[in-house]
Amino acid sequence: MNPSWQRITALARKDAGELARNPGAILPALAMVLGALFPPFLVVVGAPMIAGRTLEESGEFAGAVDAIPVIPELAALSGNALIQAFVFHQFSLLLLLVPVVAAMSLATHAVIGEKTSKALEPLLVTPISTVELLMAKTLTPFVFALALTWLAAVLYLIGIGVVAEPGVWQAVLGARTAILFGLLGPLVTLAALQLSVIVSSRATDPRSAQQLTSLLIVPITIVFVAQLMGAFVIGPAALLLGAVGCVALNAILLWIGVVTFERETILTRWR
Amino acid sequence: MAADLLVADRLTRRFADRVAVRDLSLSVASGEIVALLGPNGAGKTTTMRMLAGLVLPTAGRITINRVEVTGATAGAARRAIGLLTEAPGLWERLTVRANLLTYARLQGLADPGGAVERVLEQVDLADRAHDLAGKLSKGLKQRAALARALVHQPPVLLLDEPTSGLDPASARHVRDLIAGFRQDGRAVLVSTHNLGEAEALADRIAILKTELLALDSPPALRGAGEGATVSITFEDGTTQAVAVTDLADVPAIVERLVHEGRRIISVVPQRRSLEDVYLQLVGAEP
Repeated sequence: MNPSWQRITALARKDAGELARNPGAILPALAMVLGALFPPFLVVVGAPMIAGRTLEESGEFAGAVDAIPVIPELAALSGNALIQAFVFHQFSLLLLLVPVVAAMSLATHAVIGEKTSKALEPLLVTPISTVELLMAKTLTPFVFALALTWLAAVLYLIGIGVVAEPGVWQAVLGARTAILFGLLGPLVTLAALQLSVIVSSRATDPRSAQQLTSLLIVPITIVFVAQLMGAFVIGPAALLLGAVGCVALNAILLWIGVVTFERETILTRWR
Repeated sequence: MAADLLVADRLTRRFADRVAVRDLSLSVASGEIVALLGPNGAGKTTTMRMLAGLVLPTAGRITINRVEVTGATAGAARRAIGLLTEAPGLWERLTVRANLLTYARLQGLADPGGAVERVLEQVDLADRAHDLAGKLSKGLKQRAALARALVHQPPVLLLDEPTSGLDPASARHVRDLIAGFRQDGRAVLVSTHNLGEAEALADRIAILKTELLALDSPPALRGAGEGATVSITFEDGTTQAVAVTDLADVPAIVERLVHEGRRIISVVPQRRSLEDVYLQLVGAEP
C-alpha cells in the first residue's frame, strides 16, 4: 500500500499545532542557534578587541593561506580579511549542530508527547500505516529544524556582512556553504530525526532515548574541533563526501526503521 | 436476526510463556451491546487490543464487519472500528475540534469538518469544540474521546472502561450515549469492572478470566449456577433463608415445614445478584 499523504499531513499538521504551543520543545533548538552563532563572532570580533591586535597580527590563524587550495573562495582575500573568512568557514560547521539538536528535541517531543498523553493507542487504531506514522513523525520536526538551520545560516551571513571586513561574506557565501546548508544540513537533519524516532520508540525511558540520540553530536563535534586545531581543512569536496556518507546512513536508518517497526512493538514500547 | 459485526473465533494470545487469553470465542451483533467483565489481568485489554488490530492473536480468527482480519484487510478492518481507550488520550494542547479533525483526516473522510460537527452534536459537545482538550473536565474528556471513536461512524465500537473514574452524572451521560448506539445498529463491546453498569447497559455479559467463563444475558446469568436461596417468613415474624439445589425442591420444603406445625406467611425465592454469579465464576471470595 502506498503511503497516503492525506494521513501523513494530517498527523504532521497536528504535530505542528502542538509544537506551536510547546515552547519547551523549541527552546533547546533556539538556544543552539545562539550557541552556534556566538563563538565565531567572539573569535573574529571579541578576541581582537580584548587582545588589542587583529587576528593577522596575532598569527593564530597563519594556516589560513594553506586553506586557499581547498576553499577557492578564499583566494580573492588577503591579510586580516582572509583570516576572518577562514575562521567563519571553520565555524560554519558548528551550525550543523542546530538541526541535530532541533531534530532531537522536536522528534523526541513528538514521540514522547504521544506516550505521555496516552494518545498512541487510539492513533494506531486508525488506518495509518507504520511507514506513514514514521513519515508523519519526521515531517514536522524536519521542516522546523531545517527552517531553523537556514535561519541560522542567514543570520550568520548577515552578521558576517555587518562585522567582517569587505569581501568576507562573499567569500563565505560560496560552494562550500551551499553544500553545507543545502545538502549536508538536510541530510544530517534527516539522520538525526530517524535516529531520534527509532531510539525513542525502542527505548523504554525518554531520557535514555535522548542520551542515545545525542551521540550524533559527537562525530560533528570531533570533526569541528579537529579542523579548528588545524588537523585538516574541510572543503566542498570533503563536504560532498560527508553528504554521500549521510545518504548511506539515512538509507541504513530507514531500513532499520522499516524492518524493526511493528504496530505491536510501537504500542508496547511507546507507553 | 441481526448480523454479527464482530466475531472472535477461538482467540488465543501468549506473551512469552504466559497465556493472556485462551480460546476465546464471542460475537457481537448489530444493535447489540456486550459487556466484557473480568478481574484485573483477566485478559480484557488484550482481548480489546486483539479485536482492534493492535495486538496479533497467537491463534484464532477475528471478523470485523463481515471481513476476516488479515494482514491485507487490517487497514479496512480498522476503518470499521471505533476504540475508546481507558485513558481519553487526547492531544491536550489542541482544541477538541482540532483533535477530532485530525482523526477525521486520518480516517480519510471526504468532509472532515462536517463529520466533526456532526459527531460533536452527537455527543453533546458542540459548545466546547474550541476549548483546549487539556482544559476539559474528566467527563467531558471522555465524551471527546467517545466523539473521536465515533467520528468516522464505525459499525463496531470497542469501549474500554468508558466510565472509569467519572462522577455519577458524567458516567450516566456516557452510559446514555452508549445505550443510544444500540439504536444506531452498532455492535458495541464494553470492557468494564462495574457490574451494575454491565447489567444496566448490556444485552449480554461475557465473563473472562483468561478463558471465557460465561456469556449470556444478565437474567440468564443470574439464574445460572449452582443452587438458589429461598427466604421463608413465618407468622411469628422470623425469617429463614433456605438453600436449595433447585427451586423445584421448594414445595416439598414448604410441605415439611407446614407438617411440622410452622405457620408460613411468605416464601420468596431470592434472586442472585450478578455480583454473586461473577464472584462464583471467577473464584474470588465475596
